[in-house]
Amino acid sequence: MLKKIILGGLLILNITGYGQTINWNRLERTDRHMLSINAGLDYGLTGGLAYGYKLKTETPVVLTAEYSTPFGEVLIDDYKSKIGVMLRFAEFGDFSFSAKLQGLFRRYESEYVRMSNFGTEISVTSGYYKKNWYIAAEAGFDKAIITHFKHAEIYRENFPLVKDGWYEPSSGGNFNYGLQAGFSVDKSDITLRIGWVITQDFKTVPNLPFYAQLGYAIKLRNKN
Amino acid sequence: MIKKLRNYSLVFTLVFLLAACTKEQSINEPGNLVPKTVDQDMSLPAISINGTQMHAEAFGPPDSALLIILHGGPGSDYRYLLNCKSFANQGFRVIFYDQRGSGLSKRHPRNSYSVQLMSDDLSAVIAHYRTSLNQKVFLLGHSWGAILASIYINQYPTTISGIVLAEPGGIIWQDIEDYIKRSRTIKFSSELSNDLLYADQFLTGKDTEHAILDYRYSLLQIVEGNKQSPTGDGASLASWRPGAIVNKALIDIGEKERPDWTKNLNQYKTKVLFVYSENNKAYGLSHAQKVSSAFPKVQLLKINGAGHNMISFPTGWNNFYPPTLNYLNSLK
Repeated sequence: MLKKIILGGLLILNITGYGQTINWNRLERTDRHMLSINAGLDYGLTGGLAYGYKLKTETPVVLTAEYSTPFGEVLIDDYKSKIGVMLRFAEFGDFSFSAKLQGLFRRYESEYVRMSNFGTEISVTSGYYKKNWYIAAEAGFDKAIITHFKHAEIYRENFPLVKDGWYEPSSGGNFNYGLQAGFSVDKSDITLRIGWVITQDFKTVPNLPFYAQLGYAIKLRNKN
Repeated sequence: MIKKLRNYSLVFTLVFLLAACTKEQSINEPGNLVPKTVDQDMSLPAISINGTQMHAEAFGPPDSALLIILHGGPGSDYRYLLNCKSFANQGFRVIFYDQRGSGLSKRHPRNSYSVQLMSDDLSAVIAHYRTSLNQKVFLLGHSWGAILASIYINQYPTTISGIVLAEPGGIIWQDIEDYIKRSRTIKFSSELSNDLLYADQFLTGKDTEHAILDYRYSLLQIVEGNKQSPTGDGASLASWRPGAIVNKALIDIGEKERPDWTKNLNQYKTKVLFVYSENNKAYGLSHAQKVSSAFPKVQLLKINGAGHNMISFPTGWNNFYPPTLNYLNSLK
């Protein structure tokens, strides 16, 4: 019980947002709001929305919230929502280094089971950023910390004694590594992320062992 | 903005406090998400052979001709083939067993599995139930079980009195690979595709964490019963617990060694009953003819109104049982 409360606290500390990929070199002091849409491959064919809010700080810090869902006949049964913080922690000329920490909630439902999971995602990005384009390498870890299982009758027909409820220790964890790139024009960015996914034992891969995301982002400035 | 974030924090806090009030369970504990295996639950019917424990049952008079039922997968279990118990009322000793690492049989390390070991296990099962050397032995295999039966005949062409093969993917690796590709063709943007792929971010396990891997694998079985699947069943199969590791191990061996198990099949002079289904769009007459051509004498049987799992569902079973019984009786 104490562990769950601590985990909950850690996630709440993360409640400052992650969003889209960012061209740090084009981020102005007055930029505040960032909106983006994206589509791609993320454990399935998915589409998503993201919102970012840049704090009034010396070091760029962006709080964002993100929602994505896989395509399919039923749109609301599977989804992933994230909130977290993304910050640039080092800069050497046109090279920037950033990190992001996110709390996430995701849901999966099939004919057999509904799974609701709280997890966290940590990643670092380092890249070369110019005014009109950038390219960066990224690596991250996605941990499914605690998961609730609710089984459907069809699964119970196979295993009547299956136990629903919250499960720990953690039910999964995957590493990802890849590249992100973007083109920036005025207040708009076109972004692309591609990479690979490997499970936490470094031996096996998911059924879809890679990810790709094409996005469009627009920045809105405060008048003051 | 800050006020909104505080509201989100409050929601998260409430959710976690609610979650904290319930007793958490271990995801890799057998009996929670998947049933226990025979080495974990002594109440299950089991036999100890060839250095392992297998979930097994036998029906019918012990001295009657043996009919060994071989399930598919690799890694499935015999629950979906229990209709075959009917042969016990027709003078056969019907033997069901979950193959090594499958169903409710004991799990083993990934690198311990081999095709030869699966064949040796079948020899040991026959030896365990055979009461005399004159007792005839028949094999009835479905899907991977039909491949295993063919492998066994290829190795021991004179020991088996008759075989029933229901849609083996192939007896050479290329045929198996081609069939797997055709049978797994699904629309990438479909709900079924989500059901297969999206769960990978919730569940992962090491090779030694059999309970979680078997559970994950059981969620993939949804494809078998989906109406979008080309295999044509349209309903989910009954099963106990699939074996993820034995499936992965044997598929890996196949991909690496690309075996051909047909070389001695021309020595098997007995007629083979080779069964395929009307509704499995990935199989069909041409594939049935191609795969069965490795045997000198073949009776092809099309099961109308059924898909790949024709033995499990009423229409398929009603069309499968009488001709199969006739075939077995003709050789008994």
